[in-house]
Amino acid sequence: MLWPGAFWPVTYGSVVGTMRPRGRGKSTVTDQPGGRDPATTSTDDDGTEPDARYTFANERTFLAWSRTSLALVVGGLAIAQLLPPFPGIPWGRHVIGTPLILLGCAVSVISYLEWKASQRALRHGQPLPRSRLPQILAIAITVIGLIAAALALLSAVGVP
Amino acid sequence: MSPPTGKTPAGEEPADDIEYADPGLARERTELAWTRTAIAFAALGAALLKFRPVVGLLVLVLSAVVWRLGRLSGTASTADLRARLLLITVTTVAVSVVALVLSFLGPGIVSLR
Repeated sequence: MLWPGAFWPVTYGSVVGTMRPRGRGKSTVTDQPGGRDPATTSTDDDGTEPDARYTFANERTFLAWSRTSLALVVGGLAIAQLLPPFPGIPWGRHVIGTPLILLGCAVSVISYLEWKASQRALRHGQPLPRSRLPQILAIAITVIGLIAAALALLSAVGVP
Repeated sequence: MSPPTGKTPAGEEPADDIEYADPGLARERTELAWTRTAIAFAALGAALLKFRPVVGLLVLVLSAVVWRLGRLSGTASTADLRARLLLITVTTVAVSVVALVLSFLGPGIVSLR
């Protein structure tokens, strides 16, 4: 095995398992004799193994978001380093590039947390949590686009 | 409706969903997704070679690792899968930190001419 799961400490799942995206309500389902709440105490390994196709689809969704985050990082770096400076606004490129890089970083982490939440829901037969990434991405790109438009206008008319 | 098991018992009608009869297609699509991700990492590594050859080479090696990890799709336990996906996340975060540093300290457009 190239990447043994035993490499990770046993407590890993219980630590990160509590970091779920908002919007996912506290589960009332208890499938343990002690009345344990699986949503807050479970690792990803309990419950029942779901249909392999669902696991594959969840994995592909994560990979697609990962490529999106890589594209954001590369785009931000290219803007900061390769774009000619805005006339009169030397810091203008960083105002666009830095948020793109940070957005890519955030998308990468959030997509992993959402993969965990979805996999947990699949294993327990619960409804899939709603993804917040489309909303985050849409709002962030809108804001960055508006900033870019303002910078382009400012450099065109000349900074006062 | 209970989720399909991916196995069609002998003597039953063929399923509407072709994956129902052949769940290997889902695995193949997933392996291709891993390949696309590896290509994305490779492209990023090649671009970084221009700024920082060492970092670029490191990312290129990582893209080979990502490609190799994709071949393991469907064979690992949930814990292994989680570790593999966490590797992607950690790598992307590290790359974004490098990109952030480079965007402020990098050579800029002048030295690329």
